Amino acid sequence: MNALPATGRLTPGALLRPPYARPAAWVFGTLLGLLVVLPALEVSIDQTLIRATPFILTGLAVALPARAGLINVGGEGQLLLGAVGATGVGLALPDTLSPVATLPLLALGGALGGLVWAGIAAGLYVGARTNEVIVTLLLNFVAVSVVAYVVHGPWRDPDSASFPYTADFGAGGTVPLLPGGTAHAGLLVALVAAVGVWLVMGRTRWGFRARVVGGNKEAGRRSGFNVSRTLVIALVAGGALAGLAGAIEVVAVEGRLRPAVAVGFGYIGFLASWLVGHRPLAVVGAGLALAAISVSGDNLQIDAGLPSTTVYILMAVVVMAVLGLRRRAGRQG
Amino acid sequence: MSRPKVRHLIAVAIAFALAATLIACGGDEESGAEGQTTIGFLYVGPRDDFGYNQAAFAGSQAVAEAFPDAEVLQAENVPETAEAERVMENMIDDGATIIFPTSFGHLEPALNVARKYPDVTFLHQGGLDTAENVGTYFGTIWQAQYAAGVAAGMATESNRLGFVGGFPIAQVLLNVNAYELGARSVNPDVTTSIVFTSNWCDPAKQAAATNSLIDQGADVITQHQDCTNTVIETAARRGAKVTGYHFDASRVAPEAWLTGAAWSWGPLYVDAVRTIEAGGFEGSKYDGRYRSGLGEAVQLTPFGGAATPEIRERVEAAAAEIRSGELEPFTGPIRDQGGRVRIPGPQPSVEELEETDYLVEGVTGEIPG
Amino acid sequence: MSLVEDVLVGAVRQGSPVLFATHGELVAERSGVVNLGTEGSMLCGALAAFATTVATGSPLLGIAAAAAAGALPALLHAFMVVDRGANQLANGLAIFFLGLGVTAALGSSLVGRQINGLGVAPIPLLSEIPFAGPILFAHDVLTYLALLLAPALWWFLYRTRWGLVLRATGERDEVPFAYGHSPRRVRYLALAAGGALAGIGGAQLALAITLTWVEDLTVGRGFIAVALVIFAAWEPLRAPLGAFIFGGALSLQLQLQARGVGISPFLLETAPYVLTILALVVLSSRAVSRMPRGLSAVFAGAQRA
Repeated sequence: MNALPATGRLTPGALLRPPYARPAAWVFGTLLGLLVVLPALEVSIDQTLIRATPFILTGLAVALPARAGLINVGGEGQLLLGAVGATGVGLALPDTLSPVATLPLLALGGALGGLVWAGIAAGLYVGARTNEVIVTLLLNFVAVSVVAYVVHGPWRDPDSASFPYTADFGAGGTVPLLPGGTAHAGLLVALVAAVGVWLVMGRTRWGFRARVVGGNKEAGRRSGFNVSRTLVIALVAGGALAGLAGAIEVVAVEGRLRPAVAVGFGYIGFLASWLVGHRPLAVVGAGLALAAISVSGDNLQIDAGLPSTTVYILMAVVVMAVLGLRRRAGRQG
Repeated sequence: MSRPKVRHLIAVAIAFALAATLIACGGDEESGAEGQTTIGFLYVGPRDDFGYNQAAFAGSQAVAEAFPDAEVLQAENVPETAEAERVMENMIDDGATIIFPTSFGHLEPALNVARKYPDVTFLHQGGLDTAENVGTYFGTIWQAQYAAGVAAGMATESNRLGFVGGFPIAQVLLNVNAYELGARSVNPDVTTSIVFTSNWCDPAKQAAATNSLIDQGADVITQHQDCTNTVIETAARRGAKVTGYHFDASRVAPEAWLTGAAWSWGPLYVDAVRTIEAGGFEGSKYDGRYRSGLGEAVQLTPFGGAATPEIRERVEAAAAEIRSGELEPFTGPIRDQGGRVRIPGPQPSVEELEETDYLVEGVTGEIPG
Repeated sequence: MSLVEDVLVGAVRQGSPVLFATHGELVAERSGVVNLGTEGSMLCGALAAFATTVATGSPLLGIAAAAAAGALPALLHAFMVVDRGANQLANGLAIFFLGLGVTAALGSSLVGRQINGLGVAPIPLLSEIPFAGPILFAHDVLTYLALLLAPALWWFLYRTRWGLVLRATGERDEVPFAYGHSPRRVRYLALAAGGALAGIGGAQLALAITLTWVEDLTVGRGFIAVALVIFAAWEPLRAPLGAFIFGGALSLQLQLQARGVGISPFLLETAPYVLTILALVVLSSRAVSRMPRGLSAVFAGAQRA
């Protein structure tokens, strides 16, 4: 359990080992906390569920590659390219198509967008031995420019008086809602994805291989696994999940692509995954908790008159409280 | 194995308790008292940006002063996405019956929320579309930019003016055009160079943009950015003169300051709230697409040290003619950069001008895209 | 002046604050700790510098305050990572959010305040040299400091006992441990120094370049610094090149526009990031081999050295 050996050396195993033995603790803790706090803060449950969807999906986009030993800081950019991909599909599809056909195609467009973006980092990692942490981080900044380019340039809504957004591709009204509320059903996609990642990692041959490679590449190689292919698949699958989040934001929340779509969501998803040691099911709990905090930001400023950035302080405090929860490291010298 | 679990629960509980305490300490929960109006304001940036958002925030303060019994709700840094819908609904939950979404991109979210809440009145700043309970208002700030251009055209010695823009949207292009036309009305040789920073507030980039314009010989600088301080400081330090935008920042560079185009939202906001309170929104000027002119919501700031008596006289004369309707800056023929006539005859309607997608001749620089 | 000259002047000016942060991150990473919270340190430094200069009128005091304020979030990072075993990347991100939130809340009353700031101080004679003079020797004092720090850090790392301890800590901390140095103390010191340098970079943005304070003044420059450390392959002498490529790309798009050359700002915006990625592709095999071994655990996932 000790995160750092006596010398304080930061070993790879220690870094990737989940800090909690039981992700269930996170889920229970979160639900308990939410039960107490949400009513007190008058935070809307529907809004929390809507916001949690991208956090969970971008969290999974970190969790999945992490189990194979790759750190994906690029959820933010993969989400944006997913938004671009879904928008491209949405603008190209005829209006007459039924939602039964449209929605899966939009989702596919989003997943592909995120997949391609993660694919760049994965390809460079395997082909040129570049560091995936840095490449995925840098690609986030590039993604922001890609979105700006398409909304200012080729895809700008011809009816918008030069204002930078794409046309409304009219899929918003067709998205099913969760029963008993106004939240869209994107959360179900996130939940299915979480269960899917959990099953794949824990119950399939590929998942086993990925975990072996994640534990020790050399061991993976000696076992005859195609290490490069495993790593590429893990990273692009993560990208596809983040891309799905972008598609959901554009289709179910925004209705069109705008430059400020989902700013910062990918980074919060990154924190969500680290908070729970990359356990796919526990990412759901972390995503819900961070979503509740994020949504409470409005109440903080509207009701309490605090500056809008107070929510960042709150989020940082919560995250550090949990991250610092590991057993005290062995002191040296 | 159970230790981390317990600790974990404690930590999460503490963190949430902290959140609750923050609300409890700062919150004033007595909202919704009988007969009390609640008015919400949304800003796209920080409300103290020394520019666009601060001008709108100042207007909200005027409302709070004029209606001491009203509760004024504020939300800053509200992105131009569906997020804004959430914030507006949140304000409505808190009893808001009048909402001012003050950024262009808040329009569509406002229209969406308005459909759900027919009893709430929305006054959107700068929009082109309206609905039953959504009116838009703005100011013809390009008129003030024209007058500021007159000052710049007279003050320049190099015959080169510099414009630091954010994104190439219609509002910005219209301002650039008006500035060049104003300058050319007093100085036919003058050109205006436009540099887009593709950001509304990145001060370090604004400094670099200003420097690049001055490197190319511009000696009067203006801008269309949300935060305005750095462009003014940088230009003044390099010995260039400035005209301001959004906000009277003359004290930043009193000697380099010529004049500026600025918002004065207070009276408009107060009058709009009074109209709605009296039940007179329907059919009023706010019910639709209202544009306040120079001298009302749009003002020329006081002159600065760089404005000679001659400049002051010409600028004031131009402003007076615009106010009286005698001078319509976009009276044709107006040619674009390629020499094509864009406006052949009389000045187009404000609606058409607000869809400007070209730069007039005399402007150096291209619309990227 | 020619386009090349103008762009290079802008490259040095805009690159300098990033260079400070890069130096800072480099020191931290040499001790084996990645600090994604560098952006937070820059923001704290910028605000402290601006506030102090408003209050006292002295930019020098402002710089001192910036160094202290920049070190604070880095020390918190040190505590979390070294003592509490928090993950470096996640905690760094949290430090960034904390810095962004705290500076926005504390700084709101300072928006629109005026300072005299740091003026340009051309170096006599040297600034007269054609071409190189204006590019290298006609800046504010902090730019000279940023440039001088590159060889100074090199000398510190490779020619001093303390530098040896720092490098050893980043490689295998059993070694300094065996010689009686505490890796924990080394990391605390390295992070504090790194945060202080990032804070000074923030100070330069506030005091010399923008003369202003607004929320999120740094707009992501601290994250660039983290990337540039890799670009520089943890070598102080290479850091200026990376920082100047960043500044140069920013400067180039604006200088071209000012000359009436139509260029999509959105594609040029990406230049610093794309160039860094390309540089990584070219340098990476070398870069990986130069990575402090203690870092490989953090940076390259589970990749074992």
